[in-house]
Amino acid sequence: MNAPGKAGRLRSLRWRLVAAVGAGVLLTWLLTGWSSYTMARHEAKELMDGSLAQTGHLLLAMMQGEGDALADLATRLELVRGAVDNIYEPPLEFQLGRGDGSILARSADAPELPILGRAGYSDIIRHAESWRVLNIISVDDRYRVQVSQPISLRDRAALEVASQTVLPLLVIVPVLILLIYLSVRGGLRPLDRLASQVAARTPDNLGPLSENGVPTEARPLVNSINRLFSRVRDALENERRFTADAAHEMRTPVAALKVQTQVARLSTETAMRDKALRQIESGVDRAGHLLEQLLRLARLDPVVSLETTQSVALGRLLREVLEEVLLVHPGARREISVAPAADAAAVLGDPELLRIAVRNLLDNALRYTRDGDTLRIAVEQAGETISVAVHDSGPGVPESQLGKLCERFWRGREDGGRPAAQRAVGGKEGSGLGLAIVARVAELHGARLQLENAPAGGFIARIDGLAAAL
Amino acid sequence: MKILLVEDDELLGDGIRAGLVLAAFAVDWMRDGHTALRALTDHAYDACILDLGLPGQDGLVVLRKLRGRGKATPVLVLTARDTREDKIAGLDSGADDYLTKPFNLDELMARLRALIRRAKGVVSPVIEHGGIRLDPVSRQVTLDGAPVTLSGREYALLLDFLSHPGHIRSRAQLEESLYAWGEEAGSNTVEVYIHHLRKKLGADVVRTLRGRGYQLGGGSP
Repeated sequence: MNAPGKAGRLRSLRWRLVAAVGAGVLLTWLLTGWSSYTMARHEAKELMDGSLAQTGHLLLAMMQGEGDALADLATRLELVRGAVDNIYEPPLEFQLGRGDGSILARSADAPELPILGRAGYSDIIRHAESWRVLNIISVDDRYRVQVSQPISLRDRAALEVASQTVLPLLVIVPVLILLIYLSVRGGLRPLDRLASQVAARTPDNLGPLSENGVPTEARPLVNSINRLFSRVRDALENERRFTADAAHEMRTPVAALKVQTQVARLSTETAMRDKALRQIESGVDRAGHLLEQLLRLARLDPVVSLETTQSVALGRLLREVLEEVLLVHPGARREISVAPAADAAAVLGDPELLRIAVRNLLDNALRYTRDGDTLRIAVEQAGETISVAVHDSGPGVPESQLGKLCERFWRGREDGGRPAAQRAVGGKEGSGLGLAIVARVAELHGARLQLENAPAGGFIARIDGLAAAL
Repeated sequence: MKILLVEDDELLGDGIRAGLVLAAFAVDWMRDGHTALRALTDHAYDACILDLGLPGQDGLVVLRKLRGRGKATPVLVLTARDTREDKIAGLDSGADDYLTKPFNLDELMARLRALIRRAKGVVSPVIEHGGIRLDPVSRQVTLDGAPVTLSGREYALLLDFLSHPGHIRSRAQLEESLYAWGEEAGSNTVEVYIHHLRKKLGADVVRTLRGRGYQLGGGSP
């Protein structure tokens, strides 16, 4: 696999998590260092102020005991001066004096300051160095002690404390970041597995993804993908079945054509040959009709909604379609009536599709009725919806088969030994797709195809719920 | 030779029937499973061409019921379903042969003849009896090497006798073999055809057994 580029890394959940958590850890580390430095400095200041005060009072007490032999004391104090670099035992800098300001003794490095200041702490700068100075005055105002300490000393102390807190983290932080990286990678591994599962899918293999080991957060994703898979699977299955059915349905007409052609070739009698030729012609018509209906369905199937709709005058459409249908069924003797209400009605829709739907309904009605039967085309308007119905006085359809009428390639046929109630008259079977097409057209118009036996006998096919054009 | 054709498609059924008649078979044509099963149970057919996609009762069901009743009529299944599973199911249900639509009429006839031959235990397609030689494929009949021209019915009658050597065939059996349902046999038509056969192939080709029927005569098979 290719190493992820920079853009890839920015989008990678793993890198983003590692970067964010790593930055957080670093920031925390810096904040910890800074705050422990400030706190240590504060503590150091208080501690050292305390030790200044203690030293100062000690010196004062010693001074009062020594009387005037202070030079001697100063010499002795030289021995306890401490070391410049040792923050725990810093050099003792002091000036001892009288109440009038005269200095009696002092340490060598003590800042040369007048000793007459106010009692208490003060910060001063002397020779480019900052000092913390404490003046102490004896109760009787005869003696004065001034002790001092360089401020840099306390800073160093604070720094030392702070770095003892922070420096170990210098080792810990990289280890921490490595651990974060490893756990993020481990935590995201289920996602990698999921991705490779999805990547391995093909149209032949659309079974649901396993939810085993899928983290809770990814479960909605898996569920959505599985729902999508299931829909795609259904669609593919439908398509597969339809193609198989269609191919299967074409075989019988083609077989009939082939056999009739061979009969025409083999027959020696003119009458027989003529009959075979006529049969071939009708077979070609039938195969053509089947093909046309198949193409129609194939075109309608992927359509989700009508692109353009217009106002369609029903009266004219019904009469025109009726004329066309009667041309295909020459010699059909049916009593046909179109409801007068049709002339006033107009629906919103696709005129070509509506025409196909009505043609299929009328064609069916003619196919499954006999001479002398009546056909009534009714149009009813209820508020803003219009229904178009074709009533016929034919034998109707057994209730058990009503549900199958819209199935593709289902044809009206004999049922379980009973005489065919709705067998196509005169052997003119349809494509088995007509009502499926009508149902699809109705659906696209927001309407429904309803099929029922009329209580008084006969059969009603109704497209219900067409939108009336205003 | 009498064939039962079971096919619900008008156009295809009509074509196959015409083809069978051209090949001098007598054909009964049924359009649904129930009547087909009844006809197969009640009558003797030399073979049956059975479409599987039938209304009422599926072809495979008809076939299974037929075999269940112990009927061994050779059955050639005709179907648009051509997957291996379909073929296996068809053959396992008792079909003797299997033909997928669309098919060639010649192939259908050839398979049918082979089926009938096998059912009668004949190995060679050509039947020889005495000096008579009958080739069912070309429908050529020769007597001592010389070709003899027979009409469709005469040929069918000769084939019936040759297929049942030694059997006594009653007039009713012969009529059933020669005619399809609805075809009215005249009162003495079988006698007329036998007369023709005797004229063309010699008087002893068929023996008359008074009151019982007819038998293939002459020569040793």
